[in-house]
Amino acid sequence: MKETTITKPLGTTVHLHRYRLRRLEPSQFFLFGAGLVVLFLTICAIAPQWVAPYAPTMIDPTNLLQPPSASHLFGTDYFGRDVFTLVVYGSRDSLLIGLASVVVGGVLGGVLGAISGYVGGLVDLIIMRFIEVLMTIPGILLALAIAAALGPSTLNIILAIASGTIPRYARVMRSSILTVKHRSYVLASRSIGSSEFRIFWRHVLPNSTAPFLVMATIGIGTSILTGSGLSFLGLGVIKEIPDWGTVLSQGRGYLTVAWWVCTFPGLAIALFVLSVNVIGDRIRDVLDPKKSNGSFTGGS
Amino acid sequence: MKIERSNKWINHTALSLMTAALLAGCGSNQVQSPNPSAPADQTAASAGNEQGGELTYALATSPDTLDAGASGFAVSHRVFRNIFDSLVFQAKEGTFQPWLASSWTKSEDGKEYTFKLRTDVTFQDGTPFNAAAVKANFDHIFAAGRGQSRSLLGTFSSAEVVDEHTIKIILSEPFEPLLAGLGSGFLGISSPKAFEQYGDQYGKHPVGTGPFKFVSWTENDQIVLEKNPDYKWGPPGADNKGPSQLDKITFKIIPEEATRIGSVQSGQVLVAETVPPQLITALNNDPNIAVDQSITNGTAFSLYINTKNEPWNEIKARQAVQLAVDVDTIVQTLYLGTYERAWSALTPGILGYDSSLENKVKPDIAKANQLLDELGWKQGGDGIREKDGQKLILRYLDGSPNREKRNDIAAIVQQQLKQIGVQVNLNITKDTNTPITNGEYDIFGNSQVKADPDILRNLLRSDKVFTKGGTNWSNVADPEIDELLDQGASESDPQKRKEIYAQIQQYMIDRAIILPIYVFPYTVAHSKKVEGLKFDLLGYPLLYDVTIRK
Amino acid sequence: MTGTIATRLLTSLLVVIGSSMLVFVIMFVLPGDPVLQMLDGNATTPEAIEQMRQQLGLDQPFYVQFMQYFLQLLQGDFGASRIDSTPVLPKILAHVPATLALTAVSAAVSVLVGTILGVLSAIHRNGIIDLTARFVGLFGISMPTFWTGILLLLLFSIHLGLFPIAGSDGWKTLVLPGITLGLVGAGFIVRMVRNTMLEVISEPFIVTLRSKGLTERVVMYKHALRNALIPALTMMGVMVGELLSGTVVVETVFARQGIGRILADAIMSKDMPVVQGVVFFTAIIYVLVNLLVDVSYSFVDPRIRRSQ
Repeated sequence: MKETTITKPLGTTVHLHRYRLRRLEPSQFFLFGAGLVVLFLTICAIAPQWVAPYAPTMIDPTNLLQPPSASHLFGTDYFGRDVFTLVVYGSRDSLLIGLASVVVGGVLGGVLGAISGYVGGLVDLIIMRFIEVLMTIPGILLALAIAAALGPSTLNIILAIASGTIPRYARVMRSSILTVKHRSYVLASRSIGSSEFRIFWRHVLPNSTAPFLVMATIGIGTSILTGSGLSFLGLGVIKEIPDWGTVLSQGRGYLTVAWWVCTFPGLAIALFVLSVNVIGDRIRDVLDPKKSNGSFTGGS
Repeated sequence: MKIERSNKWINHTALSLMTAALLAGCGSNQVQSPNPSAPADQTAASAGNEQGGELTYALATSPDTLDAGASGFAVSHRVFRNIFDSLVFQAKEGTFQPWLASSWTKSEDGKEYTFKLRTDVTFQDGTPFNAAAVKANFDHIFAAGRGQSRSLLGTFSSAEVVDEHTIKIILSEPFEPLLAGLGSGFLGISSPKAFEQYGDQYGKHPVGTGPFKFVSWTENDQIVLEKNPDYKWGPPGADNKGPSQLDKITFKIIPEEATRIGSVQSGQVLVAETVPPQLITALNNDPNIAVDQSITNGTAFSLYINTKNEPWNEIKARQAVQLAVDVDTIVQTLYLGTYERAWSALTPGILGYDSSLENKVKPDIAKANQLLDELGWKQGGDGIREKDGQKLILRYLDGSPNREKRNDIAAIVQQQLKQIGVQVNLNITKDTNTPITNGEYDIFGNSQVKADPDILRNLLRSDKVFTKGGTNWSNVADPEIDELLDQGASESDPQKRKEIYAQIQQYMIDRAIILPIYVFPYTVAHSKKVEGLKFDLLGYPLLYDVTIRK
Repeated sequence: MTGTIATRLLTSLLVVIGSSMLVFVIMFVLPGDPVLQMLDGNATTPEAIEQMRQQLGLDQPFYVQFMQYFLQLLQGDFGASRIDSTPVLPKILAHVPATLALTAVSAAVSVLVGTILGVLSAIHRNGIIDLTARFVGLFGISMPTFWTGILLLLLFSIHLGLFPIAGSDGWKTLVLPGITLGLVGAGFIVRMVRNTMLEVISEPFIVTLRSKGLTERVVMYKHALRNALIPALTMMGVMVGELLSGTVVVETVFARQGIGRILADAIMSKDMPVVQGVVFFTAIIYVLVNLLVDVSYSFVDPRIRRSQ
């Protein structure tokens, strides 16, 4: 049962790929599929009521743990709720957690990295030592500590996840800035007397964002995964309308008796993260085909 | 190697299965079978049992300490019941029988208990068991002072060594639950020499007089016990009196449910505790596995309404909640018929349980709405009631992780109360202590395990609020109830005690202070090779009589 | 070169000290009363709570606590757990081997699976093999680890009975957790190795080698792969942190011993000495691995060795 659901998307991919081989390169097809998934789930997150057939809070004791059928595409859970509806509504908080923690972590890390890289000297030394220290602390420690101390709320979960990602954004940003800083156009701009701020804002920053953007895109997926890990450890937010991570972790005890309860939310997470990764990969190739590994090797 | 063994085991069980099937006659699977191994089956099978073997027992959580006097957790009790014996033995019917104490007397005023101790008992480290040793245990409890032990001793004032094998316990006030406390594993007797030897590390090196000796404890992994070969003072409830049939018990700590239950299904452990309801049916269909359920006693899992916070200080508001929550639906939906619904604060197996409360409260949405209308809470635009610009909010506090599906109860209650215009704000968190200390909750769920109805004292007496060390979640402060609780503790006539506790239980329901939800059955899945697994009055497992069929 | 290593060791030491100081500050600043946490349902009187606070020195101001902690640390004294009063050092040392074994196996799985898939993917660029390899690689990083773990466990331990389910005795208990955690790293390495391979293949020296008449296999595996391994190695250094984080979840799913679980428990109960101790060790592991990675560059790529 599990096997079929997991291989299904792969199977379809292969099949379609053969069908369109002459027109579409495989990686483009990949990208196309990923785009569709992200688009669909974004629509779900913005307007779940358009997509979901039922109300997410509808508890129906007469309809517990029903396998997938025509009326319940993904079956029903242990409350008798429609699993498809849960997946659709769950996208809202999951995507929010993913995006917001990237924004928080990315802004903090990006600013630190940019300052460090551009100003250089003692400032760079201090910030980078700090980042290095931060990197030795397992991300989960910060996440656990913050989530446990601040208590469960979506905002706190976002902060918790974001905290662990600061160093990697800082390092990526710094290393890109370092490469761009000494490029001829920057030197040229300085020689004609542009202000430092203008140079940074107009020349350095725009040319350093590529690896950072790639990392941020992929970070959306990683954050969702970290969030579901927190749910698993009992630190997630339990709300009326749960996010995917919560549905997955609360439903995992039913795996052997009603596989559909958590398989579909699990697939939703996997598909979404997968798609985001595919898109991130693609952005990397398009923006910066030469330095495609810079984002991970960057740093001191 | 392990795989090989389990293969052999499958061959063996295939044979024994056929025998079992013949014995069982009709192969109907009952979901709720408190003790599926019928006595006839047991005697027939135990003929083929051999001495020895290792019992592996998967626990869901880890004990905090194995110092009986310092722990408050049920899981610790499950382990150290094998290491420690108690002065008295409480049978399933609630009566008391001699164990380490061969006899006892109670003074006229109920303030002095004199125990004659057995003279042939030694601790596992060779220290003789005597009155001084027992006294050392009380000293230890009042010096270290954590866990359940102190509250079980109630009004204990001092212990006096009368002679080598006689000890007198002196109470400041009569305290009827004393014997029940002394029968508990939390007041199991430790070796005084071990206290001295290990100091504050005693909890990792327990030494008692029980049928199993402590060998090792690897944190987050396992606790190993081995047979005490000199044991010959088995409790009255056991079939065995001498050394255990088992060579070794290994408690494995496996927190993840799927892993724990999977390990008993695949034969890697023999017993796994805390089987979730949805798996019971599946496991019952497994020919190699039996599921045992044992009702725990004490208080049922109930939702305690905080009567201190507005608007829930109003009895009508609480009654509206009481009438709107459909407990039958909750219990049916979540536990699929494997848990019994509760009607009172106390569990049915405890002295004084008031069965007249059964079926007394029935869901009635119309009445609930009417009560809220009477209080002036008007339906707002979004379906939530309002009064003076304030929304009708119930803050529901519950602990994480989702133990016994309690978080799911919260989710259903949230939906049910929405029907009467109450907005339930869930606060499901690891750290429940902080919101409780700050009074930031309107409803909180809890259950406790204890053998005596005096358990209600800690839940209801006005001085037992949380910040003063009690568990009066509802913040009940009623002099009459205080008076009744005191009477209940000091009254020695069981009939009168029953009446007192019936009054208290009725008070809790009539005033809508609590919503009793379910009675927790401690559920274990075990290989059918394991025989003689029993449970005590409180639902704790007794492993002394266990044998493993080869 | 020894001089460089000595400097690196020294800065590493400073980093480790810095990280435990930072954690001290973080844990101190975050709300939550450690004493209340310690009670864990065993309610006691306010007097007892106050007494406990004094015993632990928690009534002292921040700088006093910090200095005390720091001085103890310099003397190699990690203190004792506030929950069960076991000394921290032996407690952690008992759990370090299990976590190290898990991390090592996961890292090996990551590198092995990641490199194989990455190379295949680069050689068969844009073909069906490339597609599949990348898909598999991406899938590894797209599933929550607890979910992968439970699925593997149900399939291989319960249904097929190939591996023991729980525990930390013997190599067999390492297989499934190692794969679970290793797949995450593999996903990153696939991408890395593929991209570098593609870059290397287009470089002049490969063209030269080809034109010299070397077989494609020798060119690819002896020369191109060697160059492609460097980023994978660097990746390993960064990934150690991720892997150590991952152990928290994986150790719980597979009921393994390890510092991941110790850490999670300690954080949730605000057991500061234990948190500090674990962080100290993870920091050392992290720093050492990165040091090793740097040193091993020179073996993989002779150019780096010469430039030093």
